[in-house]
Amino acid sequence: MRFFRMLLPGLWLCAFAAHAGMPDYQTFPAAGPRLLLWVASERGRSEPELAAARQLAAQGVEVWSLDPANAYFLPQLPSSMDALPVRDLAAWLRAAQASGKQVTVVAVARAAVPALRAAALLGAERRSRLCVVLMHPNLYTMAEPLDAPAYLDPGNLSGLRVRVLQPRRSAATPWLPGLLDHLARHGATVSDAILENLREGYWARETPTDFEVAGSRRMAAMLLHQLDTWGCK
Amino acid sequence: MQVRRILTGLAVGLLWIAGAGAAGFETRAASPAPELRAPDLAGASRTLADYRGKVVLLNFWATWCPPCQREMPSLARLRAKMAGRPLEVVAISSAETPEEVNAYLSKMKLGFPVLLDTDGSNTRRWKVFALPTTFVLDAGGRVRHVLTGPAEWDEGEALAVVESMLAKLPEPAKQTK
Repeated sequence: MRFFRMLLPGLWLCAFAAHAGMPDYQTFPAAGPRLLLWVASERGRSEPELAAARQLAAQGVEVWSLDPANAYFLPQLPSSMDALPVRDLAAWLRAAQASGKQVTVVAVARAAVPALRAAALLGAERRSRLCVVLMHPNLYTMAEPLDAPAYLDPGNLSGLRVRVLQPRRSAATPWLPGLLDHLARHGATVSDAILENLREGYWARETPTDFEVAGSRRMAAMLLHQLDTWGCK
Repeated sequence: MQVRRILTGLAVGLLWIAGAGAAGFETRAASPAPELRAPDLAGASRTLADYRGKVVLLNFWATWCPPCQREMPSLARLRAKMAGRPLEVVAISSAETPEEVNAYLSKMKLGFPVLLDTDGSNTRRWKVFALPTTFVLDAGGRVRHVLTGPAEWDEGEALAVVESMLAKLPEPAKQTK
């Protein structure tokens, strides 16, 4: 009994310490003209994402980093991303655009859902000034073997420029054309880039390959390269 | 003491439930299988017709996928356990190059055929969205069971599914081949 009496408070303290050690929202100021809004995946934010944010800021790209699951005390599940209050995120986008900087949203995995829905809530003029990078987005409402996939309705994306970064080593890669078509049908101007030799969430894998470890360290450079080659301004 | 016994019982019960539900096969109503058209590692084109008359376990996998790697030895053990019985284990590598697959197979001998789906066309036809995904087909080439996720194929629910499919074969087909 004593063991269980000690175990539960211990677990609570560990959870609190872990949570306290990594705030849900962090800013990395920089003087350059670009502002990147980083929305972590449903699995929460990892240290390599913060390291990339620091590197980007050091190169003049301001980063506002959000861990939405923790910020709203939601379980680390894809469905939690669907439950986020999208108006809050839309207000966040407006605040970012009010800075006068060129705003790019980077949303990871299922966080693509609230990011796109928030963009859809913006007026057409604001939406046309926004760039959205989706890292291996998950927009399925249903994906069952032998059945055609069903995608979630993100709302009106007309004028929104979206670039999908898809790791090659992913079960979703063969389905990328269908996903891009879906976004285009909702009005987005879409492009994509395949990240070779990488898996989804490669920066937070339990057993990363050497290439993934190196890719994790290069994440800031990779994103800068994507932003430059994409040319969303 | 009584509380500890209750907690231990609960823990054992939860573990048992977790174990029992680990595989999670989905039974299908004998639906016709999509077309399978893929080369093997020697470059020969294979279709489901090549395996007609046998129960087929068609496993979509990838060398980079940890759960796929974990279940591969149990598929090899299942193949060995079923030697001489009308079961064909076929693994199809989803959207990978022959070089990637051959590099993996040079370290891991499987003992069953591996097909290539380099352009992902079979993955799309079979509507595979997660790896591994395994289809169990009857001797007529119809899909009877689907499993998304890994299994220990030579034991438990997975083995029971394979045995039940073999038991449904007409008598002559059940004979050792």
